[in-house]
Parts: sequence; structure tokens; C-alpha cells
Amino acid sequence: DAQDRIRWRVPIAFPSALPALGDNMPWVAEQLAAATDGRIEFRVVEPGEMVPALELSEAVGQGQIQAGYNWLGYDQGRIPASPLFSAVPFGMEPWEYIAWWKHGGGQTLAEEIYGAINVMPLFCGITGPETAGWFKAPIESVEDLRGLRIRFAGLGGQVIASLGASVSLIPGGEIFQSLERGVIDGAEFALPIVDQRLGFHRVAPYNLFPGWHQPFTAFHFIVNLDTWNALSSADQALIRLACQAGVMNNLADSEGLQGEVIAGFPDIGVTAGVLPEEVLRELQAATEIVLAEQAAADADFARVFESQREFSAMYRYWKELGYLPRDF
Amino acid sequence: MSNDTPTAPLGEAGAQARLPHTWLSKRIDGLLDVVGSLASWLWIAVVAAIVINVVYRYILRNNIGQLEELQWHLYATAFLIGLAYTVVHDEHVRVDVIYGSRSLRTKAWVDFLGILIFALPFALFVLYYAWPFVVASYVSGERSVNPSGLPYRFLIKGMLVLGFGLLVLAFVSRLTRTTALLFGFPKPIRAER
Amino acid sequence: MEFNDVLAVVLFGGFILLLFTGFPIAWLLGGFSLIVAGMAIYVDLNMQDWLVEAFPNTWLDISWRYMSAIVRNIWSQAMANEVLVALPMFIFMGYLLDRSGIAEALMKSFARVFGPLRGGYAITVIMIGILLAASTGVVGASVVLLALLGLPVMLNNRYHPTVAVGTVTAVGTLGILIPPSIMLVLMADRLAISPGGLFMGALLPGLMLASLYVLYIVALGFFRPSAVPAPVDPEPITPRVIVQLLLAVLPPFGLIFAVLGTIFFGIATPTEAAGVGALGAGLLALANGKLSFRVLKEVSEATTRSTAFILAIVVGAVAFAHVLRGLEGDLLIRNSLLALDLGPTGTLIVILLIVFLLGFVLDWIQIVLVILPLAGALIGNPSQPMSGMWMELGFEGPEQALIWFTLLFAIVLQTSFLTPPVGFALFYVKGVAPPGVTLMHIYKGVIPFILLQGLAVVIVFFWRDLVLWLPGLAPGG
Ligand code: NA
Ligand code: NA
Repeated sequence: DAQDRIRWRVPIAFPSALPALGDNMPWVAEQLAAATDGRIEFRVVEPGEMVPALELSEAVGQGQIQAGYNWLGYDQGRIPASPLFSAVPFGMEPWEYIAWWKHGGGQTLAEEIYGAINVMPLFCGITGPETAGWFKAPIESVEDLRGLRIRFAGLGGQVIASLGASVSLIPGGEIFQSLERGVIDGAEFALPIVDQRLGFHRVAPYNLFPGWHQPFTAFHFIVNLDTWNALSSADQALIRLACQAGVMNNLADSEGLQGEVIAGFPDIGVTAGVLPEEVLRELQAATEIVLAEQAAADADFARVFESQREFSAMYRYWKELGYLPRDF
Repeated sequence: MSNDTPTAPLGEAGAQARLPHTWLSKRIDGLLDVVGSLASWLWIAVVAAIVINVVYRYILRNNIGQLEELQWHLYATAFLIGLAYTVVHDEHVRVDVIYGSRSLRTKAWVDFLGILIFALPFALFVLYYAWPFVVASYVSGERSVNPSGLPYRFLIKGMLVLGFGLLVLAFVSRLTRTTALLFGFPKPIRAER
Repeated sequence: MEFNDVLAVVLFGGFILLLFTGFPIAWLLGGFSLIVAGMAIYVDLNMQDWLVEAFPNTWLDISWRYMSAIVRNIWSQAMANEVLVALPMFIFMGYLLDRSGIAEALMKSFARVFGPLRGGYAITVIMIGILLAASTGVVGASVVLLALLGLPVMLNNRYHPTVAVGTVTAVGTLGILIPPSIMLVLMADRLAISPGGLFMGALLPGLMLASLYVLYIVALGFFRPSAVPAPVDPEPITPRVIVQLLLAVLPPFGLIFAVLGTIFFGIATPTEAAGVGALGAGLLALANGKLSFRVLKEVSEATTRSTAFILAIVVGAVAFAHVLRGLEGDLLIRNSLLALDLGPTGTLIVILLIVFLLGFVLDWIQIVLVILPLAGALIGNPSQPMSGMWMELGFEGPEQALIWFTLLFAIVLQTSFLTPPVGFALFYVKGVAPPGVTLMHIYKGVIPFILLQGLAVVIVFFWRDLVLWLPGLAPGG
């Protein structure tokens, strides 16, 4: 009856029209409504309509809004450890992150760190690597990065800044114009299917791979902790289940849709380029330094980073033996 | 028709019958005028920040991220302080279709009720919730999300408190000027500014 | 109607009525929004029994905590917004040009070119307006600059005030249609389509609209010559006059081209170009011997006041939109729309009408956020090409249909800047106009231009290629 009804507004961090990036929460909401015959109703709110996308976590923590769907890396300014939960350069692959979340202490750490701002984070979506960006000219050596003006988010941005690139964080909607007007020489944003929709290929025809800066991109459903604690355990379980389904749905979409986009590149004049191994090695070395600096500056960052390192070291035994090498 | 259209520069409101001042409004408006006038020099600082950044980037091919953020920090500071300054100069836009032809007394009633019912509650509301907003920023040690951005976000967020604090003062000042005309309290000083 | 819908109507209607008291718009928007929210919260907390009985299906989800997010939105929309920095920079540049006497020299020389032509100054304003529109996408920046450059000259030459202010106001808003444009950027973002395609689609409709403005002024010259008189004693065009013209035109034109060029050649963002332009205006004033401490102080103070009153309305509008969204006024609009059941073309026309009407009260950002996604979802999504009404409308694909409709939307939305009572272009002009110019002059002056925009909408509605031809030419279009 009406007493058990759950009706929340759920602002999201990316427009719902963006495939894989923005359409996962609407899908999760639909599933929950279908499963409960409308008893649990999440009304998805587009970014910026009720609370600013960059302020989602704090707004949820303070109860200005009950819940949201966020890319936690947006909290980097307040919670330095947050990028580790959302995208790490040379970090884990999607299934590895899923395994770390469940078996490596990821969930506990996230609940602890976000609990401090009164937020319950539920792992609710993940995509594979993003592209390493769209450029006006190919990148053949680390020298080419020096002085390059580029839009790049998160820890990856810090890494290429440390190699001499001039990094800015232009909002997603303004990237095209900045590329077109030559304000920047290249830009990283999201998956090929998303970037192509935004028309980056028209102004920066070199699409570089692999996505060294974020082998996984995770998204979380965040709920005000008091609101969450007041739910019945049955409803908590339902929402957890829907989010687990969201993780699979999101991974299926992001893995399933890219091939066709890349296959169509020649028709629209895009060159899919691969960063030379030597460049990747240097980027990796720079990443080590940046991550170590971050860990030295923030205790929570160090804790989560250490946990990911430990888990990956153990996972490596399996990864190296169990899987065929990539070139098979 | 257009002969009577003087071309005064800088959009100052034309000379018109004005509300009387009070001992309180004299002091508050004097303060806000000085603060607003000083804050106006920030525009020249914004110009400087922009020009330095453009020159630096195109000569040395590098960005100064901090300087890019400094631009909107300065802009926000100047306009927030300007809110109160603009109340003092009575230049906030009004729909003057009916209002424009009313007597000074009617206009004073509009402002008296408008400030009490709409303006003052709104400014107090923002002020009340801006405080925890700034405190949260201070407590979390918030800095820019942009790795090459500025630290100490609470400083710029704190400008909300400053700007709306000054705005409350400006409304109180103007309120006393309307009551001075309508009820003779506080004692009106003179009908000239 | 549910109770929240009733309150949404009260919010709209009450605000419009209160505007006519003449109390400043910014604080009415903020204060009245709080009052309506307070009513909702009071009923929710203290009159639940009545609510359940009278409106069994109403869901009021609005609390003081929810309201407190207004502070957060003021922060992100008005303060932490690098795009808005361009606004005071253009205002500052405009005031400096005005004080240096350069603006007037520019306009005067131009009018010599147009010689005995009636409406010469107005046509000059339109030409400069097109240049400005192509260099900035920041709403208001070109309105302010044009008003400062053009208004004094037109008024001194005994143009009818309504024609003078109408021209600068309407022409100033061309900047949001002629690329680049922050409005088109936001629209592309909401629909997840390429801003590049929208930019290209907007070019021809924007130029067409500008041509309609010129035709209107020429027609006025024939049918109402007293409204746009020719210069009193036009000089014959001699080599001497041409040299004088070049000398007068070069500095300010150099400046405008420097501003344009820095954007076109990627040396600067629009915001930066505005700042560089402000420096350039200062240098020109210095060269003219008009720059002093006193002038700088006055120009800066005037910039503060003009910027503050515009941002005050932005702040008030943030509160208004937050309450409207909390009452789900957007759902009210959508549900009423779907209930009409009009078929594809009819639905689109009704949406455009709604946009036009909302434009009287809301500002463009709110309308884009609330209405555009709704319309986009009806038309189609390039990711799910099998659904949507783009096929029934006869397009090749969802993206073409979206570009076409978004541009119709944009032209209609451009009127929201011009329609009273809340029209930002009107306020910008009012803020920098000479004291004799009333808001009433401005309201009357923009009416013909709004009608021209209606004409443009009709043309684009029937002549789709005007929009789709250019994007179709692009590689990978
Ligand atoms: Na433009
Ligand atoms: Na309007």
C-alpha cells in the first residue's frame, strides 16, 4: 500500500540520451518499477536540472535529494580517493574491478569513505575502456605530448600534465567547439559511440587507443545514508539486485556497441590509431609517480590504492595463466 | 519625441524624486558604495588575468590553469558584491509600465512591502543556507576538481555569504528609507542623495 | 489536476501579476518562489488529511532541505561559470568604446557610406550585429555592445526611440542563432547530437533572419520615413570623405576583427576574446587621450552595476526554476501535451507554441532543460533509430529531424529574450540605455522583430533544406 511506496527523484551525472554513459540509470529505474508493479518509482532527473552534476554526492549526503547516479571521480576536489572508485590509469579491467569490489574490500572501503559524508554508494554500472582521445594529429612519441593543449579528466589528466601537456577540464558539451576553434588540440571524453554522437570526429579525426587512462569506468547509485537505513531490508535487497543487474546491462551495452562504430570509422574519415608501446610505457611510469604522490598526500587514497594493488597482485596469478594472451 | 531623450553615458538612473535618507541608511549606503566601488576594480584584474593567460599560452604554449579559474573567481566576487551596490543605486530592473508613472509615496509602498515580503526573506534564506555550504567546503578541504586548478574553494564559496550579507544590509537600509517617508520613522534626513 | 499542478499554475500566474507592481524582477522571482514552496511544505506537513482527501494522487516532494539546494545551484549556474565571465568583459569593452568616442566615430563613418539612405544607422547596427553574432555566442554580450555603440547615435539622429531600441535589442540576439552559440551547444548536449551539425544548420536561418531585419528597416524607410530619418546633411562622397572614413573605421574595426580573429583562429575562447577586446578598447581610448583614472573608475563601476542586475535575475530565476521543477511543472506540460493527441506535425507546432509562451516568463536555459528533451524523445534518438516520429515526418534519419526541429526551437526561443515581461535582451538594453528610454519603448520596439521571427519559423518549417543543406555537405554528415 501507500506506506511502502518508494518515490525518489534520481538526478544523473550524464544526459540520458547518451548511450551507455547516461541511459543505464533509466534502465535500472524501469526494471525496479516493473519488478514492483510501480511501487518503487525512481524519477530520473537530467543533469543540472535540480542539482549540479559536480555536486551530486554532497547534495545526496545532505538530503537535498534522496539519491543520484554518479561518476564518483567528480568528487575528487573533496574526496581525493574517489577517482580510485571510478577510473584509474593503468588500473583494473572491468571484471577485475567487479571482483575487487566484492572480494578485495572495495565495497567496504567505498561505504566507509562515503559513509563519512552520509552517503551509501551502490555499485550500479560499469563500462570497459574509453578511447584515449580525439586528436588533430597522431601521437607518435612522448615528445608529441609536450605542449599539447588537451582536454582530459581525472587522474589521467594529471599523468599527461606531468609529461608536459597543457591540460584543461572543459565540460563535455563545450569540447566540440573548443576543438573546432583550435582552443585545444585534442580531447578525451568517453566511449567511441558517445564521442561520435558529439561529433568529435569532424574536428579531430585521429581517434587514439588503447584507453590507458581508464581501463574501467565505474558508476554508482548513491543514496542518502539515513534514507537508506530507513528502508526495509527487503527493499534494500531489491535495489541492490537492480544495481547488480545494472552493472551487467551497462557492461553489455558498452562492450556490445563499440565494434560497429569503429568499423564505420573509414566511411567518415576517422583514423583509429594505436599509441606506440614506448609511449604507453612512459605514460605508465608517469602514472606510478602521480599515484604515489596522491597516496602520500591523502590517507584514504593510500588505503584504497594499497587495497587495489594487493588485489591485483593476487589476481595476476590467475590473469596471466588463465587467459589466452591478447594476440590470440 | 527623441529631442527629449538625453544621452547620458554609463546608464546611471536619471534624476528623479528620491526617498529620504535616514541615519542608518546614510551609514550603510556609504559603506556599500565604498565596497562596491572598490570591488569594481576587480574587472581590471579579470582583464589582466585573461590577457596574461592568452599571451602566456601563445608565446610559451602552456596554460596556467590557476589563472583560468581565477578569472571566474574574480568575476563571481565582483558581481556578488555588486548585488548590494546596485540596490543602493536602485538599478535592479523593474517592470515600469505602471510603476513608472506613480507618485513617490506609492513607489515607497511598493518597495516597503516588496522588501519585507520578497527581497529580505529571499536574501536571508540564501544567507542561512550558504553558511553550511561554505562550512562543508572548508571542512572537506575542497579544492578544484581540475588538477591544475585552485585550492581553498571555501574562500570563493564564502563570497556567497559576503554578497548576500551585504545585500541584507542594503535591503534594511532601503527599508528604513521607505518607512522614513511613509511613517516618519526613522527620522528622514533630506530628500537628496 | 493534482495539487502540485495547482501550485505550479499559482507560481506562474502570481509572478506575472506581481511583476506589474514594479518591484525589481530579480527579488520577486526569488521571494515569490519561496512563498509558493512554503505553501507546498505547509500543506504537506500540516494538512495531510485534507490533501489525501482532495487530491488522492498528489505527490508533494518539496522540503526546506530540497529548497536549500538553491544555494548549490546559484553556485554552479551563476558563480562557477566561466562562460558568464564574457558578459562583464563585453560590457566593460562597450563602456570603454563609448567613453573613448570611438563608437560614435564608427557609426558616423558608416552612415556616410550609406549616405542619403534612410535607416542607414539601423542597417549599420544590423551589419555590426552580424559580425558580433559570428564572434560570440554569449547571450547579452552583443546586445549590450550594440546598445552602447548604436543607441546614442540613432537617438541623436532623431530615430524613433522604439525603432532604435527594437533594432539593437533584436539584432543583439542574433548571436545565439548564428554560430558559435552557447545556446546551441547546450541544446546539442541535451539531445546528445553534434553541436557541429547544429552550428552548420543554424548558419543559413540566422543569415535569413538578419536579411529579414534589413528588409524591414528598408521598408520602414519607404513607409514611415520619420521613424528612420536620413542623416540631416549628408556629405557628398569625395576621396577626402573616404580617407576620413578609413581613418575613423580602422581602429574600431581592427578591434572588432581582433576579437573575432582571436576566436576564429583559436587564439582565445570567446571569454578570452572579450577580455582581450576590453584591453584593446582601453588602448584605443588611451590613444585618443580619453583614458584617465576617473574614466576607468566610472567604467568599472558601471560594469559592476550592469553585471549585478543581470546576475541578480539569473539568481532569482534559479530559485524559480528549482521550485517549478520541484512541483513537477514540467510533467504537467508533458502530460497535457500527450493528452492532446495531435499527431506528429500538430504536436510539434503545439510544442513550439508552448516554448513561445513559456518564453514570456522563463529564461532560455530553463526552457531548454525542461522542454527540449521532451520534444527530442518524441522525435527520435539516433541510438534507437527504430522509434520516434521522424519517419512519419518524412526525414532520412532521426538526426536530421532533430537538427531541423532544434533550430525551429532555437528561433522560437530567441523570442524569449525579446518578449516581456521577462526578456533578458530587454533588460540588457534597459541597463545600458540612456535614461530617456523606458522599458515601454523597448517592449513596443521589439514587436515587429518578434513578428519577423514568427515568419522565419514558418519559412524554416516548410523549407527544411535551408537547415539541412549545409550539415549534409559536411564530411561524415
Ligand atoms: Na553567435
Ligand atoms: Na521573455
